[in-house]
Amino acid sequence: MNADKVLDAKGLACPMPIVKTKKAINELNAGEVLEIHATDKGAKSDLTAWAKSGGHELLQDTEDDGILKFWIKKG
Amino acid sequence: MATKVAIIASNGSLFDAYKVFNVATAAAASDAEVGIFFTFEGLNLIHKEGHKQLPIPEGREHFQEGFKKENIPSIPELLEMAKEMGVKIIACQMTMDVMSLDKDAFVDGIEVGGAATFIQYASDANITLTF
Repeated sequence: MNADKVLDAKGLACPMPIVKTKKAINELNAGEVLEIHATDKGAKSDLTAWAKSGGHELLQDTEDDGILKFWIKKG
Repeated sequence: MATKVAIIASNGSLFDAYKVFNVATAAAASDAEVGIFFTFEGLNLIHKEGHKQLPIPEGREHFQEGFKKENIPSIPELLEMAKEMGVKIIACQMTMDVMSLDKDAFVDGIEVGGAATFIQYASDANITLTF
């Protein structure tokens, strides 16, 4: 999936993936897509909830070899 | 609907600091307006020197390794991030008076107020938490 920006949040623990994602999405325009890579196991539920509370759309998420990837479209 | 979070921090260990600042930064990152009222031992969490060396509860010293292994951010980092994201920090005037502490004993960017200041802030909050 194409992304306008990629955020590497691997190795970061709660709440850092959320805080970094917030900062990264601030730099995007509405409709653009942010791709996030994380290893925090809580990120799956946290980023899903975060997208919902911020009015963004979680387009897709995958897990491969302990790396969680998310694609979030800015609302 | 905008979310407003009002937090009371009234305990001063390292664990208390993580509870307060993790929830506060996560809320701020989720576009919530966040304010924390620091009272009694909670003032340790924003004390200029104290917040850098908060005590681990007795018998829990072995958690230290876990914090390192999991790459948990330090309290000074979390506090800095909270301020950067606009978290409002209110130090309790009465406790400061009891402890003979002035505003300059604390990190920059704080407000000083009494219980009524917090009540007024929290009066239209949707989430109120006490730690």
